[in-house]
Amino acid sequence: METKPAASGAVVVAGLRKSYGAVAAVRGVSFTVFSGEIFALLGPNGAGKTTTLEILEGFRARDAGRVEVLGLDPGDRAAGRALRERIGLVLQDIAVEPYLTVRETVARNAGYYPAPRDVDEVIELVGLAGWRRQKVRALSGGQKRRLDLALGLIGGPDLLFLDEPTTGFDPTARRDAWQIVRNLRGSGTTILLTTHYMEEAQALADRVALISGGQIVAEGTPATIGGRDTAGARIRFALPDSCAVADLPLAAAAAGDGLVSVETAEPTGTLHQLTGWALERGILLERLTVDRPSLEDVYLRLTSSGHGAPEPVMERSTR
Amino acid sequence: MSYRSRRSDLALLWHQVRYEQLSFWRNPQSAFFTFVFPVVIIMIFGALFGGVNPSSYFDGLSAMQYYVPTIAAVSVLGSCYSQLAIVLSIRRQNGILKRVRATPLPAWAYFLGLLAHCVMVSVLDVALIVGVGRLYGVPVPSHWLALAAALAGGAASFCALGVAVASLIRNAEAAPAVVQLVLPIHSDLLNRISGALPVRPFNEALLGPLARHAGLDWRNLGVLLAWGAAGALVAIRRFRWDPRPE
Repeated sequence: METKPAASGAVVVAGLRKSYGAVAAVRGVSFTVFSGEIFALLGPNGAGKTTTLEILEGFRARDAGRVEVLGLDPGDRAAGRALRERIGLVLQDIAVEPYLTVRETVARNAGYYPAPRDVDEVIELVGLAGWRRQKVRALSGGQKRRLDLALGLIGGPDLLFLDEPTTGFDPTARRDAWQIVRNLRGSGTTILLTTHYMEEAQALADRVALISGGQIVAEGTPATIGGRDTAGARIRFALPDSCAVADLPLAAAAAGDGLVSVETAEPTGTLHQLTGWALERGILLERLTVDRPSLEDVYLRLTSSGHGAPEPVMERSTR
Repeated sequence: MSYRSRRSDLALLWHQVRYEQLSFWRNPQSAFFTFVFPVVIIMIFGALFGGVNPSSYFDGLSAMQYYVPTIAAVSVLGSCYSQLAIVLSIRRQNGILKRVRATPLPAWAYFLGLLAHCVMVSVLDVALIVGVGRLYGVPVPSHWLALAAALAGGAASFCALGVAVASLIRNAEAAPAVVQLVLPIHSDLLNRISGALPVRPFNEALLGPLARHAGLDWRNLGVLLAWGAAGALVAIRRFRWDPRPE
């Protein structure tokens, strides 16, 4: 992990704790978001993502720990206005006045900031240019989320919080939203997002923290998190009925679903040995695949508290 | 970081009032109940009581001289207190208030904007009602300062109470019922009790300049403002923006 000084962090969280009654929602979370990066808090529903974000946004009070957002304490009421002028928020479960038009809604919020972006430019950016004069109540669910994004951007924030920004989007809308977020990073905006979509973290984030049960269980880049880069490859296949696992020339184990699994640090040689053995005997290795643990495998392994992880999904197939 | 200039407080407030007005006039229901409903009531009362001459039952006034200021009082009560409590509860439940809280708009600007909006609506409403009342022999207001004081004091106090009630109830579905419970409608049978509650003093304070050629009614204005202050205190301490409180 990076060891940059805390001062360069747009967001610094150390030992954060929060309980609702007897339920501990956040249990000692620490992470740093550096200026100019996209940082993803990835985790299942109820992991503590939204609670953590809402504490950073100043909506909830923390029980313990240190929190710094753009050098300010979001728990400090006096800092509230100065902080909100520099951050943009895209939240879950929020709404705007139903009888105003898209343009009026964005223009209204623009008036709350000292240096807002151009209203029409932001509307165009989120893809609502054709709906400027549409009343908010007549927008579809996806269009309302785009309007939320516009409201998050209108103040020209240094730091943008996105809470599950593409939940409910169709694949095209999701890719559009990702491109907007990447462009924002390109213009120097720091972005902290929560998501439970693996592919979203993979596609967008510079760094990912995996959160489960109110704790961070892994942190790193999408390519290295949870030891993905150093983990061994896995060869899987089905054997015909005439063969047993014990007949194989190397160590193997049953992997469920009628498959046999071979773990290896050196897949080229192992695969050669295996297929050579099969060709000699005229055996067909059905459903043969080679892969490394996907982000989803890491996610499932680390968020399922040790055992009973469901069958992982193939990321790459050699078949 | 360099100093970024902020809009002046007054410009921010005007911005806020403008958009409150816009939201209000765009919603056909709120405009109808605020402005059409009282006129319809006056016309019904006019048809029923138009010929009733001054009597002791109406404190020496004609029926319409008594009813028109009372309808005006109930209208102001409706748009400042009931409407505000219900609208704020709904806005909170929908997440509109949380969205407002996510911006740098200070809480004082949001609430002063609402108050200014309610005062404007009340002034329009009373002007309309008094205008229609002229058709039924209700005189032009005699004491403009007393009328302005009663309107401003009433609107501010009922707004504060509306925000206080919105602070105390948990969900929007309960709002219309609670609004009725907390302030029983003006009752002649319960004069002493109602004299200490805010509605009757407001009605009296409006009756003065509208029907009795009376001036400033300090006692009733005092009761009204005391309620307003109590409401403001509750609102400041208890108001929540978040639909899902901890």
